[in-house]
Amino acid sequence: MMAKGRLRPGFILVFRREFDRLARRRLLLFLTTILPLLLMGLLAVVFSAGLATRLPIAVLDLDGTDLSRTIIRTVDATPDTAVASRVSDLAEGRKLILAGQVRGLLMLPRNLERDVYGGRRPEVVFFYNTQAMTSGNLVLRGINSAVPAVAAGIRLSLRTAEGQPLEAAQAALTPIPVQVNPLFNPTLNYAHFLLAALLPSVLQVIIVTTMAYAVGLDVETSHRLSVLRRLGGGLWPAMAGKILPYTLLFLVVLGVSDWVLFGVLDMPLRGNRYLLILAGVLLILADQFIGVLLALLLRPMASAISISTLLMAPAFGFMGIGFPRIGMNAFAYNWGKMIPGTWYLMARIDQTIRGTPLYLSWKPIAVLLFMVLLLAALTALRLEVIRARRQPRPIQPTTVEGAPQ
Amino acid sequence: MTTILTVCRIELARIFSLKPAFAVLVVASLAYAVFYPQPYRTEALRDVPIAVVDLDGTDSSRELARRVDASADVAVGAVFPDQASATQDVFTRNLYGVLVIPPFFERDLLHHRQSPIALYVDASYFLIYQRLSGGVTSVARTMGAEVETARLVAAGVDPVLAAAAADPMPLTAVPLFNPQGGYATYILPAAFVLILQQTLLIGVGLLGTYRNDELSAEPAASAGPVSVVAGKLLAYLVLEIFIMSFYLIALPYLYNIPRLGAALSILIFALPFALAVSAMGLVLAHLFRDPLTVQLVSAALGIPFLFLAGFSWPTEAIPPFLHAVAILLPSTSAINGMVAVSQMGASIGDVRRPFLTLWALAVAYTAIAILLESRGRQRVVAS
Repeated sequence: MMAKGRLRPGFILVFRREFDRLARRRLLLFLTTILPLLLMGLLAVVFSAGLATRLPIAVLDLDGTDLSRTIIRTVDATPDTAVASRVSDLAEGRKLILAGQVRGLLMLPRNLERDVYGGRRPEVVFFYNTQAMTSGNLVLRGINSAVPAVAAGIRLSLRTAEGQPLEAAQAALTPIPVQVNPLFNPTLNYAHFLLAALLPSVLQVIIVTTMAYAVGLDVETSHRLSVLRRLGGGLWPAMAGKILPYTLLFLVVLGVSDWVLFGVLDMPLRGNRYLLILAGVLLILADQFIGVLLALLLRPMASAISISTLLMAPAFGFMGIGFPRIGMNAFAYNWGKMIPGTWYLMARIDQTIRGTPLYLSWKPIAVLLFMVLLLAALTALRLEVIRARRQPRPIQPTTVEGAPQ
Repeated sequence: MTTILTVCRIELARIFSLKPAFAVLVVASLAYAVFYPQPYRTEALRDVPIAVVDLDGTDSSRELARRVDASADVAVGAVFPDQASATQDVFTRNLYGVLVIPPFFERDLLHHRQSPIALYVDASYFLIYQRLSGGVTSVARTMGAEVETARLVAAGVDPVLAAAAADPMPLTAVPLFNPQGGYATYILPAAFVLILQQTLLIGVGLLGTYRNDELSAEPAASAGPVSVVAGKLLAYLVLEIFIMSFYLIALPYLYNIPRLGAALSILIFALPFALAVSAMGLVLAHLFRDPLTVQLVSAALGIPFLFLAGFSWPTEAIPPFLHAVAILLPSTSAINGMVAVSQMGASIGDVRRPFLTLWALAVAYTAIAILLESRGRQRVVAS
């Protein structure tokens, strides 16, 4: 890019140099664009089938009457569970669970029908595998809706047999029914929810590590840093020209994947889309500055990349998408507060599924903005410190307020 | 045989002398052991705060609110006069639901009519939704059963029969292997396997891409491709005996995760896993050639790998062709098999499918690594 003739040093020069470099360095281009889109596509395929339905369970039917067969049919008819196999004892059921072939075992005791109608309250037992929580909870939900439904039928027939009118009998079954109204997410589609949260989480790791790499290329030695400064006509415009091309690239990546999510897959987008874009820009900038800071603070570049991986790769757990942050211990809660993605995901959930009114939407965005400003200030401070060190002239730093060491 | 041991000795020394490799294989392993489990240490989500809007204001409605507050899952965080002001607090994430007890709640109960209550739950976070709807529904069901039994007893039915009429066929759900339904118990055993894979994969990738002068000098230079690969694998195995024992046996113990597995079965299952991952790392090192590429590409892969394994997202919901591709990753078989062995007390025979898959992967990746190693040498000789 030196062959470009006598371009004036400045922001534009560094900006263009960075795009030239992206065209030449296949790795950098691959990391910033193709890899996140590939991973996004992969995750979209993983979740494409939506929520798991008809998870296999086993049945141990020791009764073999009309009632037990009704229960089995009802269980098989729920969307969550499917009766995949009949076993003849508990040991056989345990083996199937251990091998992962079924997710639970429903045991219908001997003399079930006789005892039910005799008022002896026989127990139906459901063993389910909670080691795998998602599927465990799904099969439990299926059983929890099927077995009480059969029991309700029995209760109803017991009452009508005693001469109660049908309506009164029905009312007596559940004196206090609960109408559960899901707010914000009426379809309860968590496949979409997870997918919409996972892409920014993957992108966050990529932004921080690639920025540590891209900036590390130019600041690893003091010689390269002075080249960069001369090209930019000063450290600050140079750094701005260095960072901005990637901001644009990551915005395109986020935009493409969000277009797929909300445009093609038709996920709900119920809030303000400009706010969503604003939050996206702030997330990218904040993560970029984290990467830049790490590159400026840590040498060699390999350590900067290692540390950024170490910090960002486990961030997903701290952002409260799987296990909510209100349940975490103090350390995890506060660590999560310091991750830009935590706030971005709040803003994203607000503006996509929750449809939060505008006047209640600003907090996560304000926090993101604060993070960007703080990280930018720290980067500027670090650049000033580097400059002060590079110019051993005896000018005492008058304006630089006590650089922390 | 001696050449294998020589290569092994060189590689072991490099693990400790090559700073980036040591950082990933040892330092990162230790850091993740402390850092990663933190969000899940509390195991369960308890006392999720909701608002109560009591439009009835009677003894019965207050009793219901008190019982909801007393349950383990839910806590009454605020009492509001109307639903609109409560919803605002749900938007700001101070509260996660609103329980509305309508007017005439008590009167309807006394008149033997159905007396419904309404629960509005924040459904944007699934664990919260599940806790709140489950918690409130079970309180209402218990209270409803008491009301029903009391009515029947008042009508002159024998108390035992009254209880039977209210609940003729009780359902007992017995959670296996993770009796408290703890989140750490669920996620950590799987995550540990994934961390082991990622650190080993990156570590081996780094060792294979940085310069290795000692290997081309005497006495190791005479080693053939088979000996080189075997020696390296042996070195990684020696290291992983310590790291995997720490992760799979010591850590669950330190974090108080309930477990049923025998240490011996865990180690036997870990053997093909360590071999498969190490050999895959050697292959990746040949493909990537540059240590920075190894680090940068691997960094982003952790999250997708966890969801591909069919653990936190059930295998049944993953498209079959993708699941077939995911089998090529050691983590897919290792997570499911290792969780069954260590958490559920399965024997190696119970998990023979993932066990044999891991052996097949180990053999296949080792063969590819040997092939690439010998091709790389021919190129060196030719140039």
